[in-house]
Amino acid sequence: MSMKKRLFMIFGPIFAAALLMLAVFLSPLWSSLNYVNPKVVNNAASSLSPQVLKGQLIKRNALEHGYVPFFGSSEWSRFDPFHPAVLAAKYDRSYQPFLLGARGSQSLTHFFVMQSINPQLKNKKAVVFVSPQWFTPKGEDPNAFSFYYSPLQTTSWIKRESGSKMDRYAAYRLLQMPSGNSDREIAGALARIAAGLKPTTSQMTYVNIRNRILLNEDQIFSRYRVPLNNEKTIDKNEELLPNQYNYQKLDQLAGKIGAEKTTSNDFQIDNTFWNRRLKSHVKKLKNFQAHMSYVKSPEYSDFQLMLNQFANDHTNVLFIIPPINAKWQKYTGMSSAMLATFDKKITYQLRSQGFNHIDDLSHDGNVPYFMADTIHPGWRGWLTMDKAIRPFLTEKVPSPRYRIDNYYYSKEWQNESGSDNHFDD
Amino acid sequence: MRWYLPYGNPTYFIWLALALIPLMIGLLYGRRFRGYQTLISLFFLILTFGGPNWHTGLALIGYLIYQLILVWAYSHYRQAKDSPNKGWIFVTAVVLAIIPLVIVKITPLFTPNRQSIIGFLGISYITFKVVQTIMETRDGMIKEFHPVLFGQFLLFFPTISSGPIDRYRRFEADYAKVPERSAYLDMVEKGVRYIFQGFLYKFILAYIFGSIMMPQIQQRALMAHGFSWNIVAYMYVYSMDLFFDFAGYSLFAVGISYMMGIKTPMNFNQPFKSKNIKDFWNRWHMTLSFWFRDYIFMRLVFFCMKHHIFKSRTTTANVCYVINMLIMGFWHGETWYYITYGLYHGFAMVINDTWLRFKKKHQDHIPHNKFTELFAIFLTFNVVCFSFLIFSGFLNTLFFAPKPF
Repeated sequence: MSMKKRLFMIFGPIFAAALLMLAVFLSPLWSSLNYVNPKVVNNAASSLSPQVLKGQLIKRNALEHGYVPFFGSSEWSRFDPFHPAVLAAKYDRSYQPFLLGARGSQSLTHFFVMQSINPQLKNKKAVVFVSPQWFTPKGEDPNAFSFYYSPLQTTSWIKRESGSKMDRYAAYRLLQMPSGNSDREIAGALARIAAGLKPTTSQMTYVNIRNRILLNEDQIFSRYRVPLNNEKTIDKNEELLPNQYNYQKLDQLAGKIGAEKTTSNDFQIDNTFWNRRLKSHVKKLKNFQAHMSYVKSPEYSDFQLMLNQFANDHTNVLFIIPPINAKWQKYTGMSSAMLATFDKKITYQLRSQGFNHIDDLSHDGNVPYFMADTIHPGWRGWLTMDKAIRPFLTEKVPSPRYRIDNYYYSKEWQNESGSDNHFDD
Repeated sequence: MRWYLPYGNPTYFIWLALALIPLMIGLLYGRRFRGYQTLISLFFLILTFGGPNWHTGLALIGYLIYQLILVWAYSHYRQAKDSPNKGWIFVTAVVLAIIPLVIVKITPLFTPNRQSIIGFLGISYITFKVVQTIMETRDGMIKEFHPVLFGQFLLFFPTISSGPIDRYRRFEADYAKVPERSAYLDMVEKGVRYIFQGFLYKFILAYIFGSIMMPQIQQRALMAHGFSWNIVAYMYVYSMDLFFDFAGYSLFAVGISYMMGIKTPMNFNQPFKSKNIKDFWNRWHMTLSFWFRDYIFMRLVFFCMKHHIFKSRTTTANVCYVINMLIMGFWHGETWYYITYGLYHGFAMVINDTWLRFKKKHQDHIPHNKFTELFAIFLTFNVVCFSFLIFSGFLNTLFFAPKPF
């Protein structure tokens, strides 16, 4: 055999495989393969899995089939019989929550999550659970952001960005995270967007190819990557509920279950959480939050990104502002005045731009069995929220009229403490 | 500039392919571009030991100079005409050669969670190469010390981080010549096959066992507090991960060597088909076990026989097995589980030998057929997997480590 022929025999299959792989991953045909088994969607809705958050197909499929996005963070993992997902399943509501977010997912992550479902948010409804704990002086933790970072969502957004203030601010924020610099070409494109320029043609070619490959990966594999996380937990919790929805009776039941679950401590904190996370070092935590503040934070502008995107999509949004366990707050020395200012500031940012559906529970921190632990709502807290969630999602709500103000992207707003009654007008 | 562990990600392979093409064209046309080979070796060493790892790069350079001087000095002494060839000088040379490795290995004992500043990725494997060179120089097998060739041998980049451990004389002979075109094409063909087999092993199978299955089983075993069947599952999954990860890596190293016209020896030969422990060590991490056989076990046996330390040959062999494996345990690291792993295999070898002698004596009464062979494979596999469970350190985490809550 000649040398050329032998070399061809050795390396030919490698080139053939490479070509085949490119053809498969670059093919636009996959985007029409949209069917996802309803069981998979049902799992995904409560899985809280980062894979689902980072993907696209499953969320789109779910939102087109009666699921409503519930943006939030760690509170979604506190399943009990009154959790929104349990109530919606038990009482066959016309909506089912699609829980988005887990520990460490904040506004910036959600802004990019929204980029994977913009068409499904258009003129639809959504729920956002706004944790005060997001609004720390440093804002989003870069490591947590990396954990939920999705190159698919980033490239989808770059493809559509128009150079608006929102896009420029998002690019600027992304570049402050290690994730934004993890790919040199994309970092280059982000730098141009942040500076108000269009990405170069070669950067766009790269973004388009990368997006196509990631999209196909998502189309092909994501339906097989949904972990079976909380299905059983929800089923078990449903069994604890009466068949008829009667608010008074449910409220009594919530109080009863709450009392049974919080026997180990004086803070009305769930026994498991108390025993595992607090019991051993509770002494050291006395007054440890005395200087904590949620008033000045870059998170306010990240949050503005979400609001801006909702406004662009004409999404009707219900915002839930939870309280903090009042007994715990007192013990750890967290300032009530500070929390009140936070509440005023966030409410002002919402109302001044036309986001008027706000379920402000910030004063309910001392209602018995409202909180399941230090900062997460439980039993009666979930049930109270249902009073706002159910009508919002099942009844007709007038279409919103938003007025986005770019002032909320400024450092002044991030550092605004409302000392001169700024939030009152 | 990015920094890479050898064979750690696809980009590393793209760099490799690009760098090797000129070298391969040369080899096809009967030329070995030694200058170019040195240049790309340097490039790949910088990829691994540069950037954020620069301090390990410095450690590597310091180590290399130290060992070159040591081997040069010993060769100078030993290769001189009518060299006195004293035993104590030889022993001193060997001790000096392994001192850096010993320091690196025992540093974590004194400063937990800290690595020694003289350590770098692959120091063990280079030390093995140095020690065998000194030993073969003592034996008179290596008759000439050539610093550049010796440096090429120690720093051969495809095998630098985790072997296979080549032999100086074999390497030097390959490096000195250019294979015939048809022989080289055979090597390229094999090399490509090894590399793709490596992809299957490391990036698919080891990923499934190590990154998908293992964390889940580990979690379940930890939640069970104490003994549970999850530990058994962990044992098998860990064993599979260990094999496919390391065998995959070794296939890359051998495959790339073949592309460069160097026949680096294979490291694994279907080890889970072994019929007994001795057979296993002839198939598992072969270059390491052969190194231990040639430079520790055999030398211990000769030493014991020469000085009549034990009366019977059997006792000699048994004691040497245990010492040999114990040293291997210590080499893995100074923890109870590595040392137990070494002892376990030492005694397994002793039991194995005893059984084989017993079986030979009573051949007429002990059946030997397909079924007993299958049983032997099954038994050996489980004995080995259990040793890997010890080796994994998981029992330590399970029973002795502080609980997270």
